[in-house]
Amino acid sequence: MKHRKGRNGFIAVCVLPAVILFIIFMIVPTINVFKMSLYKWGGFSNNKTFVGLNNFKILFEDPKFYRSFQNSVLLIVMVTIITMVFSLVFAAILSREKIKGQNFFRIIFYIPNILSVVVISAIFSAIYDPSQGLLNSILSIFRGAKADPILWLGNQKLVIYSLVIAMVWQAIGYYMVMYMASMSSVPESLYESANLEGAGRIHQFFNITLPLIWTNIRTTLTFFIISTINLSFLFVKAMTGGKPDGASEVFLSYMYGQAYTNSSYGYGMAIGVIVFLFSFGLAGLVNLATKREPLEF
Amino acid sequence: MKRKEVTRWLALGLAAVMSTTILAGCGNTDDSSKGGDDAKGDGGQVLKVAAFEGGYGAELWSEVAKAFEETHEGVTVELQVDKKIEDKITPAMKSGDYPDVIHCATGRDAGLTETITKEKGLTCLDDVLDMTVPGEEVTVREKILPGFLDTLGTMPYNDGKTYYAPMFYSPCGLFYNAGLLKEKGWEVPKTWDEMWELGDKAKAEGISLFTYPHAGYFDAFIYATLESSGGAEFYNECMTYKDGIWESPEATAVFETIGKLAQYVEPTTLGNANEESFTKNQQLILDNKAIFCPNGTWLPGEMADAPRAEGFEWGFTAVPAVSDSQKPSSFTFFEQMWIPAEGKNQDLAKEWIAFMYSDKAADIFAKSNAIQPIVGISEKLTGDNKMFYSVYDNDAAVPVMGGFASTNPVEGVSMNDTLFRAVDSIVSGDKTVADWQKSVEEASDKLREAME
Repeated sequence: MKHRKGRNGFIAVCVLPAVILFIIFMIVPTINVFKMSLYKWGGFSNNKTFVGLNNFKILFEDPKFYRSFQNSVLLIVMVTIITMVFSLVFAAILSREKIKGQNFFRIIFYIPNILSVVVISAIFSAIYDPSQGLLNSILSIFRGAKADPILWLGNQKLVIYSLVIAMVWQAIGYYMVMYMASMSSVPESLYESANLEGAGRIHQFFNITLPLIWTNIRTTLTFFIISTINLSFLFVKAMTGGKPDGASEVFLSYMYGQAYTNSSYGYGMAIGVIVFLFSFGLAGLVNLATKREPLEF
Repeated sequence: MKRKEVTRWLALGLAAVMSTTILAGCGNTDDSSKGGDDAKGDGGQVLKVAAFEGGYGAELWSEVAKAFEETHEGVTVELQVDKKIEDKITPAMKSGDYPDVIHCATGRDAGLTETITKEKGLTCLDDVLDMTVPGEEVTVREKILPGFLDTLGTMPYNDGKTYYAPMFYSPCGLFYNAGLLKEKGWEVPKTWDEMWELGDKAKAEGISLFTYPHAGYFDAFIYATLESSGGAEFYNECMTYKDGIWESPEATAVFETIGKLAQYVEPTTLGNANEESFTKNQQLILDNKAIFCPNGTWLPGEMADAPRAEGFEWGFTAVPAVSDSQKPSSFTFFEQMWIPAEGKNQDLAKEWIAFMYSDKAADIFAKSNAIQPIVGISEKLTGDNKMFYSVYDNDAAVPVMGGFASTNPVEGVSMNDTLFRAVDSIVSGDKTVADWQKSVEEASDKLREAME
């Protein structure tokens, strides 16, 4: 009895620093964001006016907010699906097949992930350059040299897809490594017996690999949501600044623009609250929808 | 058993030490910064100056601080200069630790100057204007070039009181390759009709009439065209959001001129019209792919190392007048220096601002091409600057100063988005000129309600 009491005390002391940090740097600011969203405040003075839910009322009538919200959702969906497909396929190939230079590819795929977003933005700005860029130069082989240049970052309908490409490129390596790690723990014997039964590679992938790494895929889905929301802000800031005419604005960049450039700190925090609830809700929903009985092996 | 006990206590002790250091770490910063305030105080005074490091570099600030310390005995200037000065000083400001003087222009992304203005956190500078410039016999008001002190750029509340000190002015207008025009035998257009004519002529040779770095650069351009469409009074009414002003015939003429200009924009411009790649659009001028580009006098410095077409020579002209009865105009951009009301050393801060207009300081600034708006500055100009700053000479162009009046913040509405950034949509054809005009009037209505 005494032993257990001592152990509990020991555990409490051990987790105390983390708990204190968590409260100071996570809980308190989050509560503050919620509180600030109820005020009209510029961010500096003591001149705060309580306006209740007025900020949210304005928010739901703000077409620019809806556009940035749509862009964010589009990015989350597109980046998640495309990245997941690519990194699963690459991971399966690199961990299951014997190909020359496996380690080399592993490193090559991972490199984009260690580059800073600013560097990636510079690379992609060069690729997207209308006259000398890689993309338009290649396309001009098919379209003819006289064709009007495609403005990857200047066309309001294209710009968000241009961001998708850059974000997918950046993310593939990271998720590939995560999937490879769990794929390597799938017992070889399962594949051997599948081989004996005459199951093809694709069949094996869908019936053995995928179900057995399902828990890992679920975890990465949450990662996808959080990192796309965060990274899309950095990409937009570095590559387009929300241009042209707000067509590439995502909700965090819109929040920044309102909280700082437009001096409406309280309104920015209201956007923050929506982003917070949205990402929590979405992650919960995805978690619920993908829930399966874990397979033992 | 005993050994286990020892390790346990050791771990416990370490955990305790860790948590205390963490907490101590949180608290410590406050103490040390407070200590820093008084540390150098012994008898002398400390002036905390925060300055934006723009295209002119950072050196001019340390030099001017040294000059200030030399003329003001016992004063130590604590200088903070950064390209993102807002990010450096706002955390401390939010906890009540303000710099005494801040040099940071309006119209920047972080919006610090606008926010402090909207929050009524500025010290009125009227008494600085009546101070004598340190080491000289004239007052600050007499030293500053006429016109600079009666604009919304220095009196943000439009109430006759000065809150911003004008610094480093620069005429904005259209930059072009004078060598190209000379070679082709083309004249610099004086009116918009001549402009369109030149545009068609150039198009036949595969050169576009116009390009722009990014939509943000349309502020100075639109300000200038507004002035040259309806005159000074009309301009002021636009800037103070007078009801219906954006639907007046004068404003319509401006919107339509820009709508027509959009058809002459170089076809790749939009693809590079963002903060990351805007220099590629400026490069179009150097490569003879486009003729005119709206910009400020910092452009030649910014493009100093860029490759250029043979025979390239900078040319600069005011924006042609929209109305036949008006003169061409050029927006005068200037940066602002201001004193936050929460700053502790108000008197010394005022002394510092007065010093900014002394010949001594102006000479230091001019060495870095930063031109102070003071009487007699034109004699200190050299090289290309002479040509740029002579744009107003002999009444050739009307100077336009000051942007929109400050209002209480309006959530989701800003002229920056509605009026300037929307130019991208006009160029790409995603928005009609009529829709643009309508949305500007709507934004103006909302902002007018927020004025005091």
